[in-house]
Amino acid sequence: MKYWQMFWTISLVVAGISFAFITLVVSVRGYKDLREMFRRLSRRSNGNHE
Amino acid sequence: MGFTVVDWLIVIVYLVVSVAVGLIGKRFIGNVAHYLVAGRELGLYVGIATLAATEIGTITYMYNGELGYKYGFAAFAAALISGVVMIFVGRTGFVISRLRELRLMTVPEFFEVKYSRGLRLVTGVLVALGGILNMGVFLKIEGEFLTIVSGIPSRYLVAAMTVILLLELLYTVLGGMVSVVITDFIQYVLLSVATLLVTVYAVYHAGWGNIVDKVATTMGEAGVNPIANPKFGLTFLIWQILLWFSVHTCWQTTAMRMFATRSAETSKRVMTWTGFIFLGRGMLPMLWGIAALTLFGTGASDQGVPLPVVNGQTLAPIDAMPAMLANILRPGVKGIVVAGMLAATMSVNSSYLLGWSAVISQDIILPLRRVLGKAPMDSRAQILVNRISNLFVSLFLMFWGLYYTPPGAVYLYLNITGTIFLAGAFVCVVGGLYWRRANTTGGYLAMLAGAAGAIIPFFFLHWSENVTGFAAFGLAALGLVIGSLVGRPSTASSAAQEAE
Repeated sequence: MKYWQMFWTISLVVAGISFAFITLVVSVRGYKDLREMFRRLSRRSNGNHE
Repeated sequence: MGFTVVDWLIVIVYLVVSVAVGLIGKRFIGNVAHYLVAGRELGLYVGIATLAATEIGTITYMYNGELGYKYGFAAFAAALISGVVMIFVGRTGFVISRLRELRLMTVPEFFEVKYSRGLRLVTGVLVALGGILNMGVFLKIEGEFLTIVSGIPSRYLVAAMTVILLLELLYTVLGGMVSVVITDFIQYVLLSVATLLVTVYAVYHAGWGNIVDKVATTMGEAGVNPIANPKFGLTFLIWQILLWFSVHTCWQTTAMRMFATRSAETSKRVMTWTGFIFLGRGMLPMLWGIAALTLFGTGASDQGVPLPVVNGQTLAPIDAMPAMLANILRPGVKGIVVAGMLAATMSVNSSYLLGWSAVISQDIILPLRRVLGKAPMDSRAQILVNRISNLFVSLFLMFWGLYYTPPGAVYLYLNITGTIFLAGAFVCVVGGLYWRRANTTGGYLAMLAGAAGAIIPFFFLHWSENVTGFAAFGLAALGLVIGSLVGRPSTASSAAQEAE
């Protein structure tokens, strides 16, 4: 039982830190991605590729 | 403690900004590929945001909170499996890379590429039916959360959820995937902040030592060991592995994001990093559920776990977590959390609306028109059909979603309704991509056996969810193998093999 508790505690810490870290990175860099997506979509808006 | 003026202001500002930003997407819609897969222009970071936001809703928090309340830390096994399988799929590119290279827009589209138009139609019907029934329980459960936390009288639940559905419908119908991606980005940031805030509050108020003690005294070994827990066990764990492989590769809303990435390589990276988010997506709300058990689990025992008693009122386990939030969050923070949960609700619902209506338009209506000998529709007409499908799905949800109550644990109900089509679809997609002998006869048998394997044992024989899930995947695999060995080789264009 003690080992399971330890395992879940470590898993929880890893999950929480990953969640917070990825959120931070995505929040900062996602904006640039969005602008790039708008630019590419605008450029292609006249030509129907599919 | 009810909602204050500050809380209401935060929520209203969020709603206005979210809808206004969502409407921007309309100006980038040039053709049906823009509408359904954002012109396949998703980069890594916005890809992670939209995939995570799509699969993290208030419904996710509710069912994971319920699992944590009922089964303690043992429930973490389901979260761990979902994250690890996702990371594995991302690292290896299993299924997702090959599907991305085929430039699809929906999962059933693959069935015409590899098998036949008829099988695409059958799969489209099963996927749309299972998906919409699956989504059908969202509104009511999400409404319960919002009314409990914000303190809105429950008689306003239908009106409140209808307004939210109409708002998300507005930008989804007009801007399609582009609008959904833009709003998903904002919603992902907000829901993540809310998730982290609630986690800190829950652990602070319940106390980590008390949380561990409560699980130990209430559940013993079953509260930490998923194999020893009678609800789980080895069959549950293996079923969960199969289920999450199928969800991460063949679930329409997830697959659409993979199809929308700039390249197969980008789709792999998006999947890998989102896998780490999935660990927290499950474990953090499960922890909130355990914290609610620690703070309010003082009622009569129900299947070995005390029912939650909040302010003298006995509640269902699923309502313990929101009731805890209503009691421990201070004004201002409560507004941010409710706005975050609304963001989660809207991101999931808009993505699911788009996903299931895409299947109805692309995989049911368009193939039916071709079967009937009608001329192919141009891009503009396809977008119109998609928009009308969106409206119909929303109408169904408003009536079904607000009045139907799922039996048993919500997580398991969602798993079973998903399995109805996922078992067959997953087996057919894997077989179609990696086994040359897989043919149309096998595909039909797999889809029908998978659906029967989920429906008959669960709804008529009343077997447990674990055994039902097992039966569905097992029968689907058996159907594909037997049908493919007995039937004639498939004559459909094998674009799947061209992608190899």
